[in-house]
Formats: sequence, structure tokens, C-alpha cells
Amino acid sequence: MNAPRTIAEYLEQLRAALRGADPALIQDALYDAEEHLRAELAEQPSRSEAQMLEHVVGSYGAPDEVAEIYRDQEIKIQRALRPPPPPKRRSLAGRFFGVAADPRTYGALFYMLLALATGIFYFTWAVTGLSLSVGLSVLIIGLPFIVLFFGSVRVLSLVEGRIVEAMLGMRMPRRPVYPTTGMTLMQRIGSMFTDVHTWTTLCYMWLMLPLGIVYFTLAVTLLSVSVAFIGAPLAMLLHNDWLPGLYVDHQVTVNWGFGAHVPGWGDAIAMCVIGIVLLFTTLHLARALGRLHGHVAKHMLVPRAAD
Amino acid sequence: MDDSASQLKKFQKELSSGTVSLVLLGVLAQSRQPLYGYQIAKRLEGAEGVLAGKQSALYPVLRNLEGAGLLASEVEPSVSGPPRRYYRITKPGREVLREWVAAWNATRDAVDNVLQGGVS
Repeated sequence: MNAPRTIAEYLEQLRAALRGADPALIQDALYDAEEHLRAELAEQPSRSEAQMLEHVVGSYGAPDEVAEIYRDQEIKIQRALRPPPPPKRRSLAGRFFGVAADPRTYGALFYMLLALATGIFYFTWAVTGLSLSVGLSVLIIGLPFIVLFFGSVRVLSLVEGRIVEAMLGMRMPRRPVYPTTGMTLMQRIGSMFTDVHTWTTLCYMWLMLPLGIVYFTLAVTLLSVSVAFIGAPLAMLLHNDWLPGLYVDHQVTVNWGFGAHVPGWGDAIAMCVIGIVLLFTTLHLARALGRLHGHVAKHMLVPRAAD
Repeated sequence: MDDSASQLKKFQKELSSGTVSLVLLGVLAQSRQPLYGYQIAKRLEGAEGVLAGKQSALYPVLRNLEGAGLLASEVEPSVSGPPRRYYRITKPGREVLREWVAAWNATRDAVDNVLQGGVS
């Protein structure tokens, strides 16, 4: 690898050295490097970029050294910030019920409930912003509005990244893409539109409404049905005289497929068992959906490294 | 020779993982105004031992300290250059630093003591 002569070259080499690493890590590493290099350049404006970089390779590190440091750090972050993996359970029952001990499960479950609120907000923001942008584009205030709106989309993309990382455990960028320098204002605005990342983020914001509704409905329905089933013996135990009063024909009946009858203790216990199985199945579903959604978020919110 | 060099490198890596965090907290606790990454790196330039490593290693540590709530940061546009991320120490950061310094002093004294033959 020959020595980089411009900042762009240095970043290109760093990106190449980090190839294959987590896109979120690459974005952070490039941001840090660019900030440092530009600060170094601004410190002594008389030096040329090539001279500055010669010095920087010694102090900050050559691209491949920096790449190695960041890979190392990433392993440490994973080890330090992630909760310890739950012990591997061998037995089928252990694996089925072990889901309750996994903190990821509850993070995912909470995310499913939250997704309705954030989904409505993102959708409203994206649709309102987009239609106002188009509508106002014939007026003089259209341009600043569009720029503000697209800027807000980038900020929301980072915010959602933080939520996804905290709750679903998917590594997301902590820093935005470094603002490109050396472009005129118009070029900068133009790049906002040509950037695929902006559009995938908008798609994600739009998609979050249907997804949020599905997640929320699934979580609430499955949880309440399983809790109600588990509580069946309790309802038997407390008193079953007032119970029929709740029904129009004053009779509670159960039908397992062999004809309806008034439920007894056997039915209540059976419902309780079904409820427990359903509850743990729900937890499994939440964890799986959380993992899936983490991947969706990563693909749509983190810009692909331009190879 | 090559083997002892790699052993040294490994030892430095392990030694640096905690001390760099301690030093970064210390630098920001002593500074009156918030500092950005490059300034912090400059302040540590010329330091010996594990702190003489590559400056790129400081940035991920700063970010982790911020993630843990020990530092806070904000981006400010600058007149002469690119926007910079300024870090300052938070209140929990100062408390953690006090405990870390105590742990560091105790460890340093104990290690010195052992190396000078104080334990026999």
C-alpha cells in the first residue's frame, strides 16, 4: 500500500483496510479519522496535505494500523457492553424455557410495544415532510424547507439506530457520516437527493407504521391471551358463581372440539398449561422478530460502504 | 528477540486498556473548557509507555466513555476548519474518576512494592 497523499486517499485506504468489518464500525472509524486529519490540517495551514499525512501516519497511525486498532476495540466493546450470553442449554425443555432468562427477549418485546408509537411518528414525519417539500418547491421557501427536512431525516436515522442498538442489540453507528467538505452549498444539497441512504431511511420510516402496528398487535394479543389462559384456574378458584353473569346466555362453556360443556377443573388446568406454552412461544417469537428487525434496520439505516 | 517483542506488545495492549480511559478522564477533569479529540491527543503527545501508542486508539475510548455516561459531547462548527466534537466530563464521570484514581494509586504502590522486593 503506497503512502496516502490526500485526506480522501487516506480515508479510502482506511475503508479498504476495514473491508468486511461491521458497517457501523466503518462509519465510526472514518468519522474519527476525518475529524482528526482535518484538525491536524487546520492546525498548521502552511503544511501541504501530503506533508501533514506523512506526520499523521506516525502519530495517528497508518490506515491498516488504525483498522487493526478499531477491530480490536470492537471486540472489547462487544465483550464489555453486551450482557453475558445465557448459558447454553442442551435439553429441549431447557432451550424452550431458557428464552425467559435472555435479556434480549425483553428488549425485543419492549421494542415491539414501542414500535407503534415510533412508527406513527416516523410515518407522519416522513409523509408530511415529503408532501410539504413537493408542495412548497414552487415557492421560495421550498428549498430551505426541503434541506431542513432531509437533515431531520438523517438525525432521526441516528436516533432510531440508538433505540435499535439498546433494545435489539444490533451494533449501529454512533456518529453520522462525516459531512463532505469542499463542496458548494448547491452540491451538498444535491448530494442529499442522490444519496441512496436518504431514500432507504425514508422507506424505513414509512415502513415502520405497518411494522409497528403488526408488532404491537402481536405482542399485546399474544401476551394477554396467554396471561388469561394461565389465570384460568385462578378464576375457577375464586368463585365461579358470578362468572356466568357476565355472559348473555348466563352460561360459560368450553368446547375442545367434542361439543360444548360447562368447564371443570380439568379444563382450567389444561388451559393453564396451554397458556404457559403460549407465553414462552410468544417470548421466542419476540426474540426472533427482534433479531430480524435489527437486520432490517441495519440494512436500511446504515449506508453501505461504497466499494 | 521477536518473541519478546510480541510479548511486550501484548503486555502493553493489556496494560493500556484501563489506563487510557483513566488518563482521558483525568485530562478532561483538569481542563477548564471542553476539548475535542485532536486537542486531547496533542496534550498526550510525548507521553511515555502505553500512552505513546497511536492516537487513533483514543477516539473509540472517548466514545465508550461517552456511552457509559462519564463524558458528554457536542458538535460545534469551527471557524477555521471542520466541525469538531467537544467532550467534557460529567458529574458521574468525576465520581468514577475519584474512585479510579484511588484504585490506581493503590495498585501502583503495591506493584512498585512487589517489584522492589518488598514482599519476600
